[in-house]
Amino acid sequence: MIELWELLIQPLRYPFMARGLLASLMVGTLCAVVGTYVVLRGMAFFGDALAHAILPGVAIAYLLGLNLVWGALAMGLLTAVGIGYLSRRGQVKEDTAIGVIFAASFALGVAILSTVQSYSVDLTHILFGNVLGVSEADLWLTAGLGAIALLAVALFYKELLVISFDPILAATLGLPLNALHYLLLLLIALSIVVSLQTVGVALMVAMLVTPAATAYLLTRRLWHMMIVAALIGAVSSVTGLYLSFYVNVASGPAVVLVCTAFFMLAVVFAPRQGLLWKR
Amino acid sequence: MTTALKINDLTVSYNGTPAIEQVSFEVQSGERVAIVGPNGAGKSTLFKAMVGLLPAKKGSVQTNGAEIGYITQRSAVDWSFPVTVHDVVMMGRIGKMGWLRWQRPIDRQIARRSLAQVGLIDYAERQIGELSGGQQQRVFIARALAQEAAILLMDEPFAGVDTPAQAAILRLLDHLRDEGMTVLVSTHDLNMAMEHCDQMALLNRRLIAYGPPHQAINPETLTSAYGERALWQGEDYAMVLGDIDCCGGEGHRHD
Repeated sequence: MIELWELLIQPLRYPFMARGLLASLMVGTLCAVVGTYVVLRGMAFFGDALAHAILPGVAIAYLLGLNLVWGALAMGLLTAVGIGYLSRRGQVKEDTAIGVIFAASFALGVAILSTVQSYSVDLTHILFGNVLGVSEADLWLTAGLGAIALLAVALFYKELLVISFDPILAATLGLPLNALHYLLLLLIALSIVVSLQTVGVALMVAMLVTPAATAYLLTRRLWHMMIVAALIGAVSSVTGLYLSFYVNVASGPAVVLVCTAFFMLAVVFAPRQGLLWKR
Repeated sequence: MTTALKINDLTVSYNGTPAIEQVSFEVQSGERVAIVGPNGAGKSTLFKAMVGLLPAKKGSVQTNGAEIGYITQRSAVDWSFPVTVHDVVMMGRIGKMGWLRWQRPIDRQIARRSLAQVGLIDYAERQIGELSGGQQQRVFIARALAQEAAILLMDEPFAGVDTPAQAAILRLLDHLRDEGMTVLVSTHDLNMAMEHCDQMALLNRRLIAYGPPHQAINPETLTSAYGERALWQGEDYAMVLGDIDCCGGEGHRHD
């Protein structure tokens, strides 16, 4: 018992680990809650694309010596609105619009970064996260932006629910469909931006989709799904970080693999939908 | 009787081509109207224009300020969405609750009363997909009641619903009629419409006939709506050949 306790407490003696844990906890929760909408509305590709598309903003902020979050935020909002606008115009299908913008901005970001000397190290950090490099200022920023996003999810819960389940009812009730749609894109962008440092661009979509997908198999009300997803996201983040500490694997992939393990368990054992009961 | 709904010279275009043209009719409050016509005749378009989902190019829809409850086709709903029956009915209250507000006791009370009215109070905590097709239709009727709608638009409510469930829905509509609910039903089932509706609107882009079933439906009007596929078999029976709902809904044409 003492040993187990020691096992849990030991990493926290390193301030960078303690900060990393706090950051992943917040990010895991936020992404999972916002991710419920990503899963229910079939926006996984959009989420993945948006995560990659913020790269130029990050690269420019890096070159200018600014906090990467601001660059990511600016680019994230720009891309979210850009994709929304292009697909709404209807000249090309939405997934085509996403594909074009996603690849183009990712390429631009890599191009900008490649002008820097320490190119490969920086790119690795941005692609896969560098949770142990989280500063105290980063923590506060994550907490602040995360709180705003969660507050918006709570305040607009019933409106976001109805535009996701039945947009036609939402329109007949006179709700502003476009504004609410952009609010949702904005929330996804915010979640991605605050997760940049912990999981990185390449694996971001797993944080948005996997805990929410697991919760989808286990619940039958949206707010239950959000709570279960948040728990899975938080537990996976912490477990993944401990794993990376003791087994010495990269933290981002460790977190994602733990999430995926939960998902596989749910696929097999979920009370009503599990493979185990379907035979 | 008072007029519940007045549609005047309504023209609606879809991508530049007119989907319905110069449709005019009046519905008295408490009446049940069947909207019939071939695929692509504009039945869904008419409903969508009535609730403001599609802009009218010309003409108007007057409801005296009454709320319209719109029940979409089954295929337009994601039945695996994580919402309970209670949640769905509560959505009807959103317009009354206002922004940044949680549900009040009155909202819960009205939602429960609406569910009781359609006989599904015991199903409140079920996930919506766990109900049968007929029960799902009644949940959406309860939602319209929670919305305090006085006019109900039902788009193909009987598609994929078995006969006993259809009878249960019709009984429920009879009850609601006593309370003054005006109902417009779009359907492919001419005989059901003739038997159970007060008025029929025969639509094929234009309104071909409107009136009590036996006036609206006759060999000439049927042929004019459906072409040669219409079969007239006497006063009480009419049918249309080859008019199965090919892709589960409108939104496309087979010209």
